[in-house]
Amino acid sequence: MTHALSIPPQPVPDADTAPFWEATAADRLAMCRCQSCGLWLQPPLDRCRACASPTAFQDVAGTGTVYSFIVQRQPSVPGYLDKVPYVVGLVELDEQRGLRLPARIIGVDPADMSCGMRVRAELTGLPGGDFRVPVFRPIGAS
Amino acid sequence: MTRSLQGAAVAGIGRTAFVRKSGRTPASMAAEAARAALADCGLTPADVDGFTCFDTGDFARPSQVAHAIGVEDLGWSLSVFGGGNIVTSTVTGAATAVLSGQAEVVVVYRTLGSQTRYGKALGTVEVDGEAQFGGPQGYLVPPQWFAMYCRRHQYEYNSTSEDLGVIAVQERTHASRNPHAVARSPITIGDYLNGRWINEPFRVFDCAYEVDGAVAIVVTSAERAADLPHKPVYLLGAADSNRFGGSIDQWDDLTCMYSRDAAPRLWSRTGLKPSDIDVACMYDCFTFTVMATFEDFGFCGKGEVGDFFREGRATYGGDVVVNPHGGLLSEGYIHGLNHHYEAVLQLRGEAGDRQVTGAETALVTSGAGPFGGALVYGTDRL
Repeated sequence: MTHALSIPPQPVPDADTAPFWEATAADRLAMCRCQSCGLWLQPPLDRCRACASPTAFQDVAGTGTVYSFIVQRQPSVPGYLDKVPYVVGLVELDEQRGLRLPARIIGVDPADMSCGMRVRAELTGLPGGDFRVPVFRPIGAS
Repeated sequence: MTRSLQGAAVAGIGRTAFVRKSGRTPASMAAEAARAALADCGLTPADVDGFTCFDTGDFARPSQVAHAIGVEDLGWSLSVFGGGNIVTSTVTGAATAVLSGQAEVVVVYRTLGSQTRYGKALGTVEVDGEAQFGGPQGYLVPPQWFAMYCRRHQYEYNSTSEDLGVIAVQERTHASRNPHAVARSPITIGDYLNGRWINEPFRVFDCAYEVDGAVAIVVTSAERAADLPHKPVYLLGAADSNRFGGSIDQWDDLTCMYSRDAAPRLWSRTGLKPSDIDVACMYDCFTFTVMATFEDFGFCGKGEVGDFFREGRATYGGDVVVNPHGGLLSEGYIHGLNHHYEAVLQLRGEAGDRQVTGAETALVTSGAGPFGGALVYGTDRL
């Protein structure tokens, strides 16, 4: 049996977030969007906060810009205790100003990170279960 | 009919020792702080008809604490879910209960035991709500969130590690004159820079010192307070702001905080301005929280906090004394209610070696990121 501290926190989907995880499981990144006014909503809502119309999940391009980032040095979160240092960025997706996802930035030396860096999403398995999560890699990096 | 908080006052203050590991229950510590606050103002549990607290993590319910100190029939009881963001609303809630006749004497408290440590999440196996997006990425705890804010500020305004460090150094210097503070050994800017990384750009000295303990304050009417032993400390005004549903990640501008909106509201409601403030108890879960909110409240411009502190303008003899008790960084983390305790102590002139001479007004802020608030206390009504 695996020790609990070796497994990262597992998402608990609810009625509003489940389509996000269904999409990642199918290797797609999809975000919640109002089907009437087009507003993207994160975290997801079943009705648009601007016009109260129904929402649906829609695939996004998966490209964005690093709005900010941290370099994790101290082991603070289960599943990552032996992964330090690692980089977490707040990625602003190209679809809408201010539409952000927190995600690990991979394939980059922490010393080379900067705000404004262009990144692209890829899906990777989350240890401890069947979930897949988006991580981002600098565009141009191999 | 005027709409104002100024008919309410803080009459009593109480607290436990702040220690790393108390071995006590949150209810036990809350009861001790409540008893101390009542004794401070010459009241007994029989005089109390209201209890309120805020909580995330460790807590003890108002009815439970009231019962524990011998209150038989509690007429007003309100537990508010939240942390630093909700301190101002909790205190003003007590005041409005008094002003509206729902209660005569209200104890406001916060208690924290060893079961809650916000800096690490080592017991977390499942994450729901908005945390389900960041948690699986290894992004789950407050030092990470507000380091993210800080980085953006550094990017846009060229603020530096040294600018954060001078805040931490000064708060520790202040705490060295506070026998109640948990961290009293002075540090230098070199010590700060040599401190271990938590998550860049935060080092260990950027983070609040988490402790066990409880703080309680007694809120009653100005009339009732006038008959009690201490000179009343009046609530002059308060303001909150909440945006983005409290989403840390979606808040639009990470270089500022809730105070962007709460500050102008507070100054407008009170007719006061930053230069009218003698003592500023700035919520300091992290050094950067002080930096961002200090700018938002208008004490200085964006990117100027480091110089403001280095020039001695945020300490004794300067423009305003920031966190004379050492704040959450050095006195200890009682979720910001200890800032209210300190403000009252300063305005009574009872702060001993760290007394701010002639202090008549105190700003107390609470919260970080997309939500929070602030309250101004005064020795006299406006």
